[in-house]
Amino acid sequence: MISIQQAQVGYQTTLIDIAQLALPAGQIYALIGRNGSGKSTLLQTLIGQLPLRAGSISFGAFSLTELQRNAALRATQVSYVASMFTGVEALTLRAYVSLGRVPHLGAFGRLQASDLQFVAEVLHALNLSDLAQKDTRKLSDGERQLASLARAIVQDTPLMVLDEPASFLDYFNRDLLIDQLQLWVQQKTERTAVFSSHDIDLCLQKGIPMLVLHQQKLTLLAKPTKQEVMALLSQNS
Amino acid sequence: MKQRSIQLLTSTGILLLLLTWVHLFVLQQEEGANSTLIFWEFQVPRLLSALLAGAGLSLSGLLMQNLFQNPMAGPYVLGINSGASLLISLLILGAAPTFLNELSYVSAAMTGAFLAASFMFVVSKRVQNIQSLLVIGLMFASFTGAIESVLQSFAAPEQVKQLFIWNMGSLQQMSAAQAPWLGTIIVFGIATTLFLVKGLNAMVLGDAHAIQLGIKVRQLKIVILFVTALLAGSITAYCGPIAFVGLAIPNLARALLKTQDHLLLILFSVFAGSCFLVAIDVLILLLDPWLSIPVNVLTAVIGAPYVAYLMLRQR
Repeated sequence: MISIQQAQVGYQTTLIDIAQLALPAGQIYALIGRNGSGKSTLLQTLIGQLPLRAGSISFGAFSLTELQRNAALRATQVSYVASMFTGVEALTLRAYVSLGRVPHLGAFGRLQASDLQFVAEVLHALNLSDLAQKDTRKLSDGERQLASLARAIVQDTPLMVLDEPASFLDYFNRDLLIDQLQLWVQQKTERTAVFSSHDIDLCLQKGIPMLVLHQQKLTLLAKPTKQEVMALLSQNS
Repeated sequence: MKQRSIQLLTSTGILLLLLTWVHLFVLQQEEGANSTLIFWEFQVPRLLSALLAGAGLSLSGLLMQNLFQNPMAGPYVLGINSGASLLISLLILGAAPTFLNELSYVSAAMTGAFLAASFMFVVSKRVQNIQSLLVIGLMFASFTGAIESVLQSFAAPEQVKQLFIWNMGSLQQMSAAQAPWLGTIIVFGIATTLFLVKGLNAMVLGDAHAIQLGIKVRQLKIVILFVTALLAGSITAYCGPIAFVGLAIPNLARALLKTQDHLLLILFSVFAGSCFLVAIDVLILLLDPWLSIPVNVLTAVIGAPYVAYLMLRQR
C-alpha cells in the first residue's frame, strides 16, 4: 500500500502536485504521461533518490523520509529497474542478477545456496538461463532489460519501481514482463509495482490500473478505458 | 567458472612460491663469513619489497579502478605517486635532518598520495571520459615534476642525488628494520579491502545503482581513497614510484578470471602483483652481471605496451 499526501514532486520547481492518493498493494500500476510530463521525476521520488518538496509518501510501515535516511533499510523495501543498463565488462548476466541479493548478504558478499537457487529460478522464469554465463556487455538491449527485471525480483522488496522496463523488449517479452510482474505482486502479500510506459494499448489489454500524469496532476484510473486515458493526456498542460 | 578461478589462484600461488625460491636461493647466493648477515639484511628485505610493493600497488590499482569506475585508472597514471613524490621531495629538501625518520617519510608520502587521489577524484567528477582523465593525470604528474625540479635547484648536491635515486624506484632501499612497517601497512590495507567486497561488487554498476542496493557509497569512497593512499603512499615512500603494476595487474585479473567478484579479484591481484614484481626483480638479478636496470624501466618496458593495448581495445 502506497499512500501519498499533499506531495509536491520536482527538482527546483514543483512538477507534479498530488493532493491525496492511495495505491492498494497486490497490484501493478502503469505510469502513463506525455514526454517531459515528469514520469522519471516521480519514479526517482518514489525510490528515494529525490526528496519531496512538500507533503509525505508512505509505503506500508515506512515513510519515504525514513527510507531516505537509511540506505540499507531502503534497499530491503524498494527495488528499482533503470531504463538503461549498458553492461559491465567481465560481469556475467548471472553475476549481475545476483547483485540484487546484495542487501541480504554479509560484508564479504558471499551468496548462500538459497540465494543461488533463487537466482536460478528467476532466470528460468524469464527465459534467461541459457544466457547466464554471457558477458553483460554482449547481451542485446532487450536481454539486459530482462536481466534488470530479474535483478529487481531477486532483491525481494515490497515495492518495485521500473522506468520504462519494456522499451527494448519485443512483443513476446513485453507480454512476459507484464505477466511476471503480475505474478510477482501476487506471490507475497503487500507487494506493489509501479512502471512507466508508453504502451497504452498493451496496458489496456492487460487491464492494468493506470496512473495518468496530466496538467501536473496524477490521476488513478482503476479500470481505464482508451477514451478516458486519451481525454486526460490530450488536456493542455 | 568457480573452479577455473580457484585453479588460476592456486597456480598463481605456486608460481609465486617458485619465483620466491628462485629469487632467494638460486640467484642471490653469497659465500663467506657474512652470508647469513647478507641474507637477512639485504636479500630478504629485497624480496619482501617486491612481494609487498607488487601486492599493494596492484590492489590500490584495483581499488582506484573501482572508485573511478574506469579500468584505466591506477596510482601511477593518475599521479598518485607524483603527489607522494612531491611531498617526499619537500621533506627531503625542506626538513631538518632530525625529522627525516620513518614516520615522517611515510606520512609525507601518504599525505601526498591522499591529496593527489582526492584531487583526481574531484576532477573525475567533471570529466567523464577516460582519455581526458589520463591526460589530466599526466599534466598533474608533469606539474609536480616541475615543482620538484625548481625545489632541487635550491638543494645541496647530496640531497639531489638522494632524490634522483629514490625517483628511479628500487626494491633495494628498504632495510630489514623497515620491512615489518611496510608489511603491517600492506596487510592492514588488504584486510580492510576484504571487508569492502560487497560494496565494491555493487559499485561496478555505478553510484546510483549501488545506493539503491543499500551501499553507503559516500562512506565507501572515502574508505577506498584512504586505503589507496595508504597502499600507494607507503610503497612510494619505501620503494620510490613504481609504474604500471597498479594499472596492468587488475586488468589482467579481470581478463583472466572473467569476473567482477572483488573477493576473487582482490586475491588474484595481490598474488599476481607480487608475482609480477618478484619476476621483474628475478630478471634484474639475472641481467645484473652485464647491466643494472632500475625496476621502473623494466615495469615500463612490459607495462606500457600492455596498457597501450588495453587502450586500443577500449574503442
